[in-house]
Amino acid sequence: MVFFEQLAGNLLYGIILGAVYGLATMGLSQIFGVLKIVNVGHGAFIMVGAYVAYWMFVLYSVNPILSIPVALVIGLALGLGIFYIVIRRLIGAPELASLLATFGIGIFIEEVAKFFWGPDHRGFSWNIGQVDFGITLIPNTKLLAFFSSVIIALILYMLFQRTRIGAAIRAVVEDREGAMVCGIDVSRIYAMSFGIGIAMTVIGGILLTLFIPVGINPYMGGEYTLKAFVIAVLGGLGSPWGAFIGGFIFGLLENGSYTILGLIPGVEPFSLTRFVAFSALLVILLVKPTGLMGGE
Amino acid sequence: MKKYIQPLLPVLTLYIVLLGAGLSIPGLWQPIAFIMFYVVLGQALNMFLGMTGYVDFGYVAFLGLGAYGMALAFSLFTDDGLGSGIIVVGFLMAVIFSILLSMAVGAIALRLRGAYFAIATIGVSEGFKYLIEGARLWGGSEGIIISSQLRDSFGSEMANYLSTFASDILIFAIGILAAILTVYTLHTRAGYALMALREDEDAAKVMGVNVTKYKVMAFGMSAVFAGLIGASAWTLKLTYVFPEDVFNIIYTVEAIVIVMLGGAGTLAGPVVGGLIYGILRYYLATVLPGFQLLVVAPLLVLIVTVFPDGVVGYIKRKLKGSRFSKYVI
Amino acid sequence: MNWKKTFVVLVIVAMSLFILGCAEKQPAPTPTPESKPAPEATPSPEAKVPEKIVIGGTLSLSGKYANEGQMSLWGIQAALKWLNDVNGGIDIGGKKVKVEFKYYDDEAKKETVQSLYDRLITVDKVDVLLAPYSSGLTLAAAPIADKNGKVYMSHGGASDRIFEQGYTYVVQTLSPASKYQTGALDMVKAIDPTAKRVAFVYEDSEFSKAVFKGAKEYAEQLGFEVVFDKTYPRNPTDLTPLLSEMKAAEPDIILGGGHFADGQLLATQLAELKINAKLVSIIVAPALPKFYDALGVKAEGIVGPGQWEVGVKYSPEAAKAKGIEYFGPTQDEFMQYFKEVAGEDKTPSYHAAEAGAAILAIAKAIENAQSTDSDAIRNAFNNLHMITFFGEFKIDPTTGKQLGHEMVLFQWQGGKKVIIWPPEAATGEPYYPIPTWEEKEQGKMATK
Repeated sequence: MVFFEQLAGNLLYGIILGAVYGLATMGLSQIFGVLKIVNVGHGAFIMVGAYVAYWMFVLYSVNPILSIPVALVIGLALGLGIFYIVIRRLIGAPELASLLATFGIGIFIEEVAKFFWGPDHRGFSWNIGQVDFGITLIPNTKLLAFFSSVIIALILYMLFQRTRIGAAIRAVVEDREGAMVCGIDVSRIYAMSFGIGIAMTVIGGILLTLFIPVGINPYMGGEYTLKAFVIAVLGGLGSPWGAFIGGFIFGLLENGSYTILGLIPGVEPFSLTRFVAFSALLVILLVKPTGLMGGE
Repeated sequence: MKKYIQPLLPVLTLYIVLLGAGLSIPGLWQPIAFIMFYVVLGQALNMFLGMTGYVDFGYVAFLGLGAYGMALAFSLFTDDGLGSGIIVVGFLMAVIFSILLSMAVGAIALRLRGAYFAIATIGVSEGFKYLIEGARLWGGSEGIIISSQLRDSFGSEMANYLSTFASDILIFAIGILAAILTVYTLHTRAGYALMALREDEDAAKVMGVNVTKYKVMAFGMSAVFAGLIGASAWTLKLTYVFPEDVFNIIYTVEAIVIVMLGGAGTLAGPVVGGLIYGILRYYLATVLPGFQLLVVAPLLVLIVTVFPDGVVGYIKRKLKGSRFSKYVI
Repeated sequence: MNWKKTFVVLVIVAMSLFILGCAEKQPAPTPTPESKPAPEATPSPEAKVPEKIVIGGTLSLSGKYANEGQMSLWGIQAALKWLNDVNGGIDIGGKKVKVEFKYYDDEAKKETVQSLYDRLITVDKVDVLLAPYSSGLTLAAAPIADKNGKVYMSHGGASDRIFEQGYTYVVQTLSPASKYQTGALDMVKAIDPTAKRVAFVYEDSEFSKAVFKGAKEYAEQLGFEVVFDKTYPRNPTDLTPLLSEMKAAEPDIILGGGHFADGQLLATQLAELKINAKLVSIIVAPALPKFYDALGVKAEGIVGPGQWEVGVKYSPEAAKAKGIEYFGPTQDEFMQYFKEVAGEDKTPSYHAAEAGAAILAIAKAIENAQSTDSDAIRNAFNNLHMITFFGEFKIDPTTGKQLGHEMVLFQWQGGKKVIIWPPEAATGEPYYPIPTWEEKEQGKMATK
């Protein structure tokens, strides 16, 4: 009985974690979908988001939810700035050149963060109680993270499906030349998509601090870059909604497999959960080489 | 023969200069070994990435397994009286491990294209790391330390000599071998097939090129070199293997940076790239301790935007048709 | 495919030939790993007194140990301030010789350390080496130090395994990893014999494994029952699965941790899941003031082991009482110099203290040896028994492992770190059992 209670509790946490993972990955998929660029510096922008939440909370006592608009503005500005300074020049260049450029940008952002804020591991406490689900306790901040993640994903979905700009972006994803012929300013769409993608990632960083408000440091992003890659592919690269679902799969796999792996003697079950998650990625690719929600 | 020798000349000259400088100028040997690590790492990755255009983001797994191959040889066979043969056994194990992994990855991932391939290989490398840690394989997260075995089998002077000199010479040897093999491949059927594959895989397939065969070949070759590098530059040189260190994705990224910096698919590219990268990293670490990455990162971005084909790719284009073009491939 | 086989064979043949060739070229190496039978260091009086003494090492100023690296640098600079400005330098043959520290940034990467140490030895001509931070990097540069016969002082390589490899010139300043969690066990046994159930929850990494392997052996020796012993991988995002399983095991005391981020996460999630224990001891993370900043009142009562803590009672008077020589600045002086180099708002962590103490130990050993000759210094270390602001210094002559230094246990009480164990170093009483998470939510502090 205890076993199933723990499993259920872990899965509950897995769903919440998955929502955060999902939102933190959508930006990566969005940028890949439109620009065909894999943002290797993805994690650095998550770090920026975490610091935005931290500083807003510590300096102005603004809670992370209310910091989301700030993150949106900062993310858009960062994204557009980087696009016009660097990425614009790399459109049409070999795929590898953009890999390198985004890698360099990621390192640069991390080092700038370290330069200004130091290498310390920071954190904050925002206590707003918790809900007792019987099987486990869940803090309200984590529930907030879950709901805001779902709501933001829905808003984005509406944005893409119901607005002109969304339609234009979808047109560019489908057929770049065709879109150009139809009078869509493709380079503007690129800029917008990159900006939105980065903004989403920065917001993902904010939601992450709702999930874990501690351990914020300049190098925290690396882990999330890796996870985001896997999640993005799980969902089918280039599809932000796929990424959102991929996040759930990843979160559930990470948390759910622990209780089961814990039955094996003589191993480190928690480390094995990551083995399971990565193996699942390979299995899915083996069955469907373009990911779960990927086209073709 | 000439067509092989001419392009090799600049590369081999550079090696000889580096070797000579390292041996004659005191205090330069280890820095040169440091730079050579990056040069050879680039060369090894170039055999696959440069030739096929496939980006293997999990490339570090081959280095890691090579490192484990050598370390396991020491932890398993130290008492068997193999003498210096144990190092040969170690290299053999490194080669076998990397070939096995390359076959496994090839079977799963080489069917995928572009970013899917890149990320599937990350899955392999990270998955392997957590398997080692989680299943407590080969010492689990505590890894393997071979310093004492090295000293027991060879005595402390010889052990130091192995770690601080012989392993570096081996890296040079691996680099030379890699250069020769690259030139050779570029001029064979396999090379032309790979070139066609890189330009347009589907077209190559239609033309009757056995795409899979050459892809797997290039992949295996590149993996073997990575295994050898891991075995000598990590295990023999640093005398320990921790899974966290040897499966660190940063080495993959660095290798890609080097190949790109120099020019993918060229012979001299990774050599030039490794040289630039290694020197930058080393001298900035000594001149600006703590701030070197703040300088390296924007420089990287700048170079990439100015030379998207890499430095050698750029030179190659400039030299096209001139009589020097034979020396740069 | 045929040429590929040929190639593999070629590689193997070439390598074996090469290695055999090298083996022949080298004269049969004479193994000399045993420490010499310690002839008392008596340098000839006409031995040249050096102009200055240079200690060199790499620090991890960027990368994953950037935090510790920065602290170490400040600690070293503070120690040097005392050494050069107050003490006037190291006394060799009646002349005061100034000491310099030459450092590079190793970025916490294993490739860089060997080349940087080689440079320190050959270009910068340093006299003594300070090892890099962490056990891995310490092992990586050890062959270079050993080959060049330089004394290699470890200030951040805690793993016991470094000292089991037979390196001649390695010396350690800090207590080894296996000692990190033994103090907490000692304390609980002394003040609460009824607390028997111990849970271990820690990072799956080389260092933490060494810490908890030592702790487990010690706990069983003391008669504790280890009811939970599980690890989590590096950089965890959610520890709930592990912690809810641990909760079911109903431990009396919880020992855990690994590094900074996961230590903060562990404490946060223990609070979220309301897992109460009579004592929670976490390695590494709680030692930094940022831990309390991050957790606020949740950090109250949390205990952590430290190599050193502000307020430890190692003083010239205490040394006198023990009949051991005191060397270096007093703690107040060290704090003052530290703030001069680091800034008024900075408090030294134990990383700063252990690095500073390593410099002082090197200086003292050189002074005792009256020479910068490595063998003389290494021998002087064997006979060196002193107390600094960091605590006692005495090494095992064969391995160089630290024996004299004791770790302390501190507890966050009312927003301050109070040393609670061992009793002779304590600055306050332990608050035991620690307040529950529910009590802390009401604002209860771990103060009486």
